[in-house]
Amino acid sequence: MSRVVYDGTPIEYQAGDSLAMAAVRAGAHPAHGGTLCLAGDCGNCVAIVDGTPWVRTCQTPARPGVTVRRHPNGSHPSPGGPEHHSQVTVRHRTADHVIVGAGDSGVAAAMAQRDAGHEVVVFDAANGDEVVGVFDGPSLVVRRVDAIEHWHAHHITLATGAAEVQPVCPGNMLAGSYTPRAAAALQAAGIDLGTVITVGHELVALHGDGRVREAELADGSRMACDSVIADLGSAPRDVLARMAPMVPVEVVGSAAESHALPPAPSAGFVCTCGKVTVEDLEGVWAKGFRDLELVKRASLCGVGTCQGGMCMPHLRSFVADRSGVEPRPFTGRPAARQVTLGEAAAGSHIDTFRRTPLHGEHEALGATLDKFGGWFRPWNYGDAVEEYWAAREAVSLGDVSTLGKMLVSGPDVVEALERLYPNNVHDIKIGRSRYVINLNERGHVLDDGMICREGDTRFLLTFTSGGASTAEMWVRDWIETWGLKVHVLDRTVSHGAINVTGPLAGELMRRAGVADEDRPKFLQHRHLTVAGVPCHVMRLSFTGEASYELHHQIDRSVELWRALMELGRPLGIKPHGLQALFGMRLEKGHVIVGQDTELDSSPRRINMDWAVKMDKPDFVGRAALARTANLPDERRLFGFTMDGPAPLEGSVIRVGGDVVGHVTSSWDSPLFGHAVLLGWQKREPHADLVQIDGRDARVSPVPFYDPEGARARM
Amino acid sequence: MLACEPLTFESMVGWRIIADPDAIDATPWPAGSRVVRISPDDVFLIGAVEPTVPTDPHAIVTPEHGFAGATLTAERTADIALHHIEWMLPNEGARPCVAQGQIAGVPAKLVLHTDGTALLLVACAARHELEERLA
Repeated sequence: MSRVVYDGTPIEYQAGDSLAMAAVRAGAHPAHGGTLCLAGDCGNCVAIVDGTPWVRTCQTPARPGVTVRRHPNGSHPSPGGPEHHSQVTVRHRTADHVIVGAGDSGVAAAMAQRDAGHEVVVFDAANGDEVVGVFDGPSLVVRRVDAIEHWHAHHITLATGAAEVQPVCPGNMLAGSYTPRAAAALQAAGIDLGTVITVGHELVALHGDGRVREAELADGSRMACDSVIADLGSAPRDVLARMAPMVPVEVVGSAAESHALPPAPSAGFVCTCGKVTVEDLEGVWAKGFRDLELVKRASLCGVGTCQGGMCMPHLRSFVADRSGVEPRPFTGRPAARQVTLGEAAAGSHIDTFRRTPLHGEHEALGATLDKFGGWFRPWNYGDAVEEYWAAREAVSLGDVSTLGKMLVSGPDVVEALERLYPNNVHDIKIGRSRYVINLNERGHVLDDGMICREGDTRFLLTFTSGGASTAEMWVRDWIETWGLKVHVLDRTVSHGAINVTGPLAGELMRRAGVADEDRPKFLQHRHLTVAGVPCHVMRLSFTGEASYELHHQIDRSVELWRALMELGRPLGIKPHGLQALFGMRLEKGHVIVGQDTELDSSPRRINMDWAVKMDKPDFVGRAALARTANLPDERRLFGFTMDGPAPLEGSVIRVGGDVVGHVTSSWDSPLFGHAVLLGWQKREPHADLVQIDGRDARVSPVPFYDPEGARARM
Repeated sequence: MLACEPLTFESMVGWRIIADPDAIDATPWPAGSRVVRISPDDVFLIGAVEPTVPTDPHAIVTPEHGFAGATLTAERTADIALHHIEWMLPNEGARPCVAQGQIAGVPAKLVLHTDGTALLLVACAARHELEERLA
C-alpha cells in the first residue's frame, strides 16, 4: 500500500483512491466536515495539496508522497505555494465542437457531431480536464494536468449533468454525511462507513461531536448511525451554463432540465464554502435585500468555492418561500474550479512598451528611461537643469520619435480635415503648417498637434505621443462615417523625429549642411537633407526656442542623432529629456492634453477659443460648442507663480480654506527662480491669490516666457 | 512547447502603398518584390524598386522601413500559434494569406504560406518585446 501525508500523518490509500477517499478510508474528513459529494460539486473537501490551497481533493488522485494539509478551520489559507512561482504552460487550441461532460448526454452529443463530420473534443472533470470558465467567442479555459488550455470553438455543448442536493440543517457541517453517489463510490472502494442510514427531506438535524452520531427526523425520532446518506434529489450542474447567459452555448441533458427545489431551509449552513447560515440570510432579508442577486451579494452566499453549485437550490428556495416567486438562478462567475495565480495569469502579458530607434543612444548617454504614452522615453540624462540651459542658451536635441504622424491624401482630404478640425484648413498654404486641437462630439479636447500641407490634396498630421493610436481610429472612423475619399497612413512607428531646439539651432542646421535660405521659417516645413539624411523639416516650437523637427526614416535615426551631436559639440549641445522639456513647455504655457486637461475640457476652459473658428459651417464638436457657448462655465485653467519649491502636480488649490481646484503641472523654473504652475479653478469668482501646500500662489498670465514668441521665430 | 531558439529578425525595407483597392488590384508590382496585402487599401511591398499606382493619382506611396521580419519554419509557426496566439488563424485552405493580431501580446502580422511556413512581421519599435516573449 502507498501513503500520502495528511496533516503531517502518513495515511495509506489504495489504487484508484482520490485524496478525499484516502482520508475517509483513514477515518478522517478531508476538510473539517460537511457532506461529501466526491464529484467536484461542493467545496467541502478542499485542502492544501503540495502547497497549493483550494484543491478539490475528491478530484485529485492519491499519489505516493503527496502532502495534504487542511485549511485552517474557520478561516482561509494564505495564498502561496510553489506553483505560484512557476510559469504555467498555456496552449491555444481550436475545434469545431467542444463538449463538456462525458456522461450519457455528452457522449450522445459527441456521437451526433462526429456523425455529422465535425471535429469534436470532449472534456470531463473525471478525466482531469476541469473547465474553469466559458467566455465570449465562444471559448473555454480548461485546466489540464500539464497546462492551461484556451479553446476556441465554433460550437460549445455543456453536458455537465446534475449535482446531488446536500442537506441544510443543524449539524450539516459534521463529518460522516454523504450524497448517495459518494457513499456508493466509497463502499465500492471497500471503505467501511459503519452503520449507515439513508434519509430524505424528513431530515431536520444531525447530531454528534465532530462527526455524525444521530439523525433527527421530522417526526422527532432520532436514528443512531456512523454515516448518513442524504438522498435529497438533484439540481442542474449549471455553473458553466450560468456563466454564459450571453454566449451561444448549448446546454443538454440533466444540466438543462428543471428540478424541483428542496424545502426552504430553516437552520444550518446554506453556503458551506462561505459558512453562511440560514440565520445570516434572514438577517439580510430583514434589511430589505429581497432579490436573489441582492441576497447573494449581501450575504456572500454563492460566491465561494462552488459558485452556487451547492447552495443555489436552497438559496432559491429560501427566496421563493419568502417572496412567493421562484427566482431564476444567478449568474455564475469564473472560475468554476479554483485556479492558482500562475494558472490565472498563464498566457497573459503586460502592455507593450515601444522603443524609439534612439533607445540605445539614450542608454549609452546614461539616460533614465521611463514609460510615457506607451513608449520608453528618456526622463533625463542626469541633470535636467543642465539640459534646460542647453536648450535655453545654446542648442539641444530631443527624441520626439513618439509623436503621432499620419499621412492623409485624397480628393476629399480638405473637406475631411475641415470637418475634423475646429481650425481652418483650406487656407493653409503648401509648405505651411498650423497648430490644431481636435475635439470630440461633445466639444471636449481630445488631442492636439500640427497640420502640415504637402500638396493640394496631401497633408501630414501630427498628434501627441499618447494620443496617436486613438487619433488614427478617430480619423478613420469619421472619414468612413462621412464616406469621403481619403487615404490614411499612420506612420508613427516607421518615422523617427529629432527636435533641434535652442537659439543656436539654426547654426547647427547650417553646420549640418542646410543653407540659411533653405531653412524653413516659423510654421513652415520643407523636405531637406540634414547631415546626409533625408528629412522632413518642420519649424515649430514646443520649448519656446527656435526649433526644427527632423522627421526621417527610422533606420537613419542613429546616424542623424550622432552627426548632430558631433556637429553641435562646439556649440555646447546636450540632449534633453522629458523633465526639461516639460519644464520648458510649461514656461511657455503650452498645455499637455491629458495632463493639463480633463475628459470634459472645452477649448474655453483651457483658454484656447482662438483655436476654434465658429464661423466654419461644421466640424466635430461644433454643435456642442454652439449650444454651450452662452452657458455659464466656471472652470478655467490658470497660470500661477509662487516661491519654490514647486508643489507636486495634483496638489490641491484652495481659496480661503475651500478647495477650488488642483495643480496640473509645476516646475521650479531655473530662469525665473520661482515656481510656475498650471492649475484649475472650478468656481467663480476666480481668485487672484490662492493657497497651495499652505503657501500663496498668484495667478499669472501665460506664457510665462517670451510672451511675444520672438525666440521661437529666431 | 518546443525548445525555442531566439528568432532572427531583420529590417524589412520596402514601400507602403495606400490606395483604392481596385487600383491596388490593378497595379503591376515591380519584379522581385514581395507583396504583403495588409488590408484592401494597404500594401507593404518588400523590395527596392519604387512602385507606381497608375490608376489612383492620390495614392500614398512612401518608403517603409518600420517593420522587422523573421522567417518561421512550419514547426515554429505551429508552436507560436499554439502557445502565443489567442485568435483563430486562417485555416490551411485560406492560405497564402496575411493574418494580424496580437502575438504574445504584441501587435504583429503573419504572412502565412501554403506549406505552413510564415513571415512574422512586427513594428521595429516593438521588436524587442516580441523577441523576449517568444524566446
